[in-house]
Amino acid sequence: MPRYAMVIDQERCVGCQSCTVACKSEWDIPNGFARTKVRQTGTIGTFPKLSTSFYVSQCNHCDRPTCVPACPTGATYQDQSGVVRVNRDLCIGCGSCVAACPYGARYINAEIGKVDKCDFCASRLGKGLQPACVATCPAHAKIFGDLEDSSSDVFRFVYRGAAKRMETANIAIGPNVYYAGKPEHAALALASFAPVPPRTIAPGKVWSSLLNKVVYLAVGVTFLGQAIAFFHQLSTGEKQFEE
Amino acid sequence: MSASAIPTVPTPLTGEQAEAMAQRQIKKHHVAIVLLHWFNAISWVLELATGAGLIVSPLYRFAPTWYLQMMEGVFGSRANMLRFHIAVGLTWTTVFLVYAIFGFRNYIRIEVLQNEIGLDRDDVLWLKVRTLLLLGRTKDPLPPQGVYNAGQKLFALLVYAMVPLIMLTGLTMTFHWFGAASVAWAMVLHFFAVGMVVSGLMIHVYMGAVFPEEKPAFYSMITGVVDELYAYHHHFKWWREVKIKEQAWRDELRSKEETIRLDEKPDDKSTDKPPLISGPQSENRR
Repeated sequence: MPRYAMVIDQERCVGCQSCTVACKSEWDIPNGFARTKVRQTGTIGTFPKLSTSFYVSQCNHCDRPTCVPACPTGATYQDQSGVVRVNRDLCIGCGSCVAACPYGARYINAEIGKVDKCDFCASRLGKGLQPACVATCPAHAKIFGDLEDSSSDVFRFVYRGAAKRMETANIAIGPNVYYAGKPEHAALALASFAPVPPRTIAPGKVWSSLLNKVVYLAVGVTFLGQAIAFFHQLSTGEKQFEE
Repeated sequence: MSASAIPTVPTPLTGEQAEAMAQRQIKKHHVAIVLLHWFNAISWVLELATGAGLIVSPLYRFAPTWYLQMMEGVFGSRANMLRFHIAVGLTWTTVFLVYAIFGFRNYIRIEVLQNEIGLDRDDVLWLKVRTLLLLGRTKDPLPPQGVYNAGQKLFALLVYAMVPLIMLTGLTMTFHWFGAASVAWAMVLHFFAVGMVVSGLMIHVYMGAVFPEEKPAFYSMITGVVDELYAYHHHFKWWREVKIKEQAWRDELRSKEETIRLDEKPDDKSTDKPPLISGPQSENRR
């Protein structure tokens, strides 16, 4: 089984947004949303050798995704190659996973009322193609491949230590999108777009702190009540004639 | 028996009276109610079974893993199970909607609702005595009840409050109404409302299908009728209402009969003769 990962070389990224456009047209993303975004994080270097730094965000296909257990129906799942995917047939669009993602990689597609996010272009992978953003990137800043394949570019980047995960001490869930570049690139990206702690949506909190207790208590009490009555009935026996 | 001879409070019956009453049937449920009840029961079994299999998040789930896997196996995939759950839910909602629209004059009138959910003083006392009786802690008689007893009324109240909520939240999730926040609240309220009804169902199913003294109520949900003795003992106030109506019906028949006879033979004064039509509820069969 492959273990897909992506490396984004921040030194090569020129912030042209080609990946964003390629992704939006590939997946018919509604206005105002994107599965991948290019964000400006600041300036690196000293005058006159300055360069702008960019942070490309998308779903990180984490090893221990927080969105998967958050999904009530199991629409969000991790496939065998480590890609976190959404089964639209099961998604009801409740937004639990959107709140649970530390990277803000998910959004609700208002046109279909369901969640949407990057799936490493799973259907293109099936045809032996690269993800649309990778195929489009003019600077080859996005590198995609299989971590199980030691001859792959991503393997070289990841296992020779040239690429780092976008993690903090608190939020370390094993993202599989790695970032290569100078330490300043990573520092700037973390300064503005550090992962945030996963949230539970308000209805989920109300359910787990109050409503589920009410339901379990009510069902428990009535079940116990009828069980007692039932055994009382069995122990006294039934009459042949009533009254 | 004239209208004034119908007892106002439950009085002990002679063996002969009781035996005669046990033979006579009175209508309790319209055929529409009987059909709707069993349609509803089947829908609930299917929806509970599939609904429990659909909730997989550790935050909400309560079914064990083997159950989730088993249900997924039965339907082939969880997506199929969701489609089935939605299809049954929409059918159920539609049927009740049609029932509400076309049946409101017959079945959803204010008097009917009062019979179904209006708790009075006797009902409150009934709840207390019934509980103590079940636990073997009292020998008091149960206070007289209307067509539905206080337990049934409480269950009806719960169901009337929760079923519209279940339908609305189900529709919200199915059609993704009003965005993610609305769907998320709908989901949680759906679980809550179903849970509340299930807590009532525990008692409803036990009382209806297992509890010996209410057996005639169970069969009435199939045949539509109960015997008069059961009605007398368990739903005295309703029995009395039925008897008064029956008497009025009989009086009306008699007066018509007399008019006809007066037209035919002005001299004949045979008021003590049996009525022309002997209805199934007529006491002439005694």
